[in-house]
Amino acid sequence: MSPLGYILKKSAEIQSMLEERESTNEDISSLVEKIKQGDRQAFMTVVSLYQKKVFLLAYSFFHNREDAMDIIQETFLRFYQKVHLYEKGKNFKNWLLQIAKNICIDHYRKDHSKRSEWQIDGDIGDMNLPDEDDKNFRSLDLKDIMKRSLIKLTEKQRMIFVMKQYNQLKYREIAQILGISSGTVKSLHFKAVQNLRVIMAPYIGR
Amino acid sequence: MRECKKHEQDRVAFLFGELEAKERDRFLSHLVGCSHCQRAIHEIREMTEKADTLHADIQEAMDSIDWESLPSKITEAVLEKVPQPSREGWLARFMRIAFQSKMRPVYAGILVGILIGSLATLLIFQRPFVKERGEAFIVSRDFLEKVETEMARRETLDYLDESQFLLLDFVQYSPDREELRKPELAFEKARDLLSKKKYINPQLMKFQMAKAKEICDQIELLFYELTQMGEQLTREDLERIRRLIEENQLLLKIKLLKRELKESEV
Repeated sequence: MSPLGYILKKSAEIQSMLEERESTNEDISSLVEKIKQGDRQAFMTVVSLYQKKVFLLAYSFFHNREDAMDIIQETFLRFYQKVHLYEKGKNFKNWLLQIAKNICIDHYRKDHSKRSEWQIDGDIGDMNLPDEDDKNFRSLDLKDIMKRSLIKLTEKQRMIFVMKQYNQLKYREIAQILGISSGTVKSLHFKAVQNLRVIMAPYIGR
Repeated sequence: MRECKKHEQDRVAFLFGELEAKERDRFLSHLVGCSHCQRAIHEIREMTEKADTLHADIQEAMDSIDWESLPSKITEAVLEKVPQPSREGWLARFMRIAFQSKMRPVYAGILVGILIGSLATLLIFQRPFVKERGEAFIVSRDFLEKVETEMARRETLDYLDESQFLLLDFVQYSPDREELRKPELAFEKARDLLSKKKYINPQLMKFQMAKAKEICDQIELLFYELTQMGEQLTREDLERIRRLIEENQLLLKIKLLKRELKESEV
């Protein structure tokens, strides 16, 4: 199959996959109402429905199981504390992921030891990229290269890339979660991909 | 190439199925004939496929978790910390409703209204520029000196003009003239000029006004004499005044002084 043919096929697959997804906000709204009344079982149901989504976001962001588990716990705790703020009809998943995203960023900022390892700000030109001839780096497997490259992105670019690549959220969902416009999401996603291409270029032979 | 730059962000959005139908068609029609964009898309696809390798890692992490028991553990932990979900207080509820995002245009409108209203009020009631009391002018001492001298010059000229008219009345006296048949008018004028002289005295103290001061003092003395003469002027009184004017050559002095002062205008 030609590259263009492949692209078209892949694009169509993604489009149809995205269209298939439908939210179940009505069911959730009734569960949330029960949680507001202190219904333990309803709370547990919500946790079981959304724990994987929160984990996926947190793990993709931190690439650390323990951090991701902390984020899950903290997210549902905060959800329970703020449940009265949920407005009926609002997209619950996005609302919950917004909480998770905030906790991820708080967690990340508080963790000074990690912060010193991870460079999060600045242009790609300012990043401390490993030397192309660095044999140690070349010997890293692709997953490690990817993880290291991801942490070189800015906080927002990384969050958007992770949400798109691993959580497979739509731009408008990401926009809602991050509280920015879809156009900004598109632009930041493009920048994230561009930066990753530049960072990874020495290690993937380009 | 310019067209490619325009579609830069579309390449990524297209690969992730994020372009609207119209945008997608437009981009595709460009892509078919653009090898640069095709190559770029190919590279982005390669990169995202490499990023997909982390899926295995994520899956591995997810598989290591007992998702069945996790909800009850989380529930336990959460309920231990917060036994009951907090209820929204009336103030918090009010704040939430008042500041919800759909109210933003309303607040923006109110804010714009207030701004426009304030500006209009400011324009309407704007005071003319009045210098606050105590606010200092910053001007040079030389400038102030010039202003004071000029004021003294003008005041003195006025004084000399008026004095000249009165003195001329006396000098050109004839029994037919109306003015001096009513001497109270001359007295009144003389008293006015005496007051005026008191007013310009400080200005005449200036070095440049020394000559003017001397002549003005002589005029003042004459007016003083006049006011001491009583309400009814006799022919002798008038003669005496005329003699004083002529002996002192007051009219000539006034004329010369006026010319000098006019020439020295600042």
